[in-house]
Amino acid sequence: MPLAALARPVSYMGGWTFIEESNRQSTAALVHYTPSPKWSLGLRSEWVRDSDFVLTAIQPTYLVKRWFGKDYQANVYLNGGFGVASGISGNPLSTTAAGFVGVMADWETRRLFAGYTARYLDAGHFDDSAMQIVRLGWAPYEGDTNDLHTWLMLEVDQRSGLEDSVSVSPVLRFFKGPALLELGFNLVDPSPLINFTYRF
Amino acid sequence: MTSFSRALPLCVIMMTTTAAHAQHDQHGGHDQHDQHGGHDQHEAHDHSDMASSPQDNAAPTGAVPMSTTPELEAALAAGGTPVVAEVLGVVCDFCATAMNKIFGSREEVAAVYVDLDTKALNLVLKKGHNLDDQTIEELAVQAGYRIAAVYRDPVLQGG
Repeated sequence: MPLAALARPVSYMGGWTFIEESNRQSTAALVHYTPSPKWSLGLRSEWVRDSDFVLTAIQPTYLVKRWFGKDYQANVYLNGGFGVASGISGNPLSTTAAGFVGVMADWETRRLFAGYTARYLDAGHFDDSAMQIVRLGWAPYEGDTNDLHTWLMLEVDQRSGLEDSVSVSPVLRFFKGPALLELGFNLVDPSPLINFTYRF
Repeated sequence: MTSFSRALPLCVIMMTTTAAHAQHDQHGGHDQHDQHGGHDQHEAHDHSDMASSPQDNAAPTGAVPMSTTPELEAALAAGGTPVVAEVLGVVCDFCATAMNKIFGSREEVAAVYVDLDTKALNLVLKKGHNLDDQTIEELAVQAGYRIAAVYRDPVLQGG
């Protein structure tokens, strides 16, 4: 799911970003290019594990608004995707058109973080689902440029169609230079959470 | 390393810069050297979708000490010109990476370092080169951020 909001889904002009996201529902990879500081365009491949299909989509992301402060930054993004969903692992369903729309928002200082993301996915006969995630974070220390930044985070997600609709995951975020790694574990629906972002 | 230990001893750039965030139509001239004793006055672009709060539109906090890194020091020793800019919204290494990429790709820039502690973009321009305030603002926007103020030589104290 598009937790990319939590790792800045629009980069600097001319920048490329690789994002990997894996959670209790899906594993996804997104590569995006930022032609303007207002939007990025990416290619997304997402394996929705329990429904045995892969979504392949073009994903534009638009920065609706960014607020700047001396000590904070806040953003609101809209994203979408259109492409195809194809069955895997013996799934007999035929390939079909698929798409999603989402909204993302975050507010961040060097010590505090709050983020929200939501998405509605229509993958035809494969899936028709909605999800939302709230995440709060706290950094125990302020790292300077190129230091290792460490965050303690708590993520609460709600996903339609899953047995445990609401779940909680504590997450450790490590951030250094252009690389960001998140390691977490879902306490309600036991499964790892692994996110990685690299900005070129 | 703290911002204080990184700061050049007694090397604080004197500035008289103001940095109100003005509307585009107030942008008549960026460099108003004569009105400020030879220093640059700078009014940042206002991008309605990249807003800063009223509080943040206030005048800059004051002189920002230039950070020290081996690259900045080497560039200064080679005769480069120091420029320090206060940046709004710089809270993480992705911000620093973006600024480093954008400014580091410019021919005029000998060295660049974004200091999260001082929230400053530290530039050393190559000898004989210049980047005017408007260009610095525009490059910061390309990186996704906003310049609050540009502190520019000529006066460095001590050193």
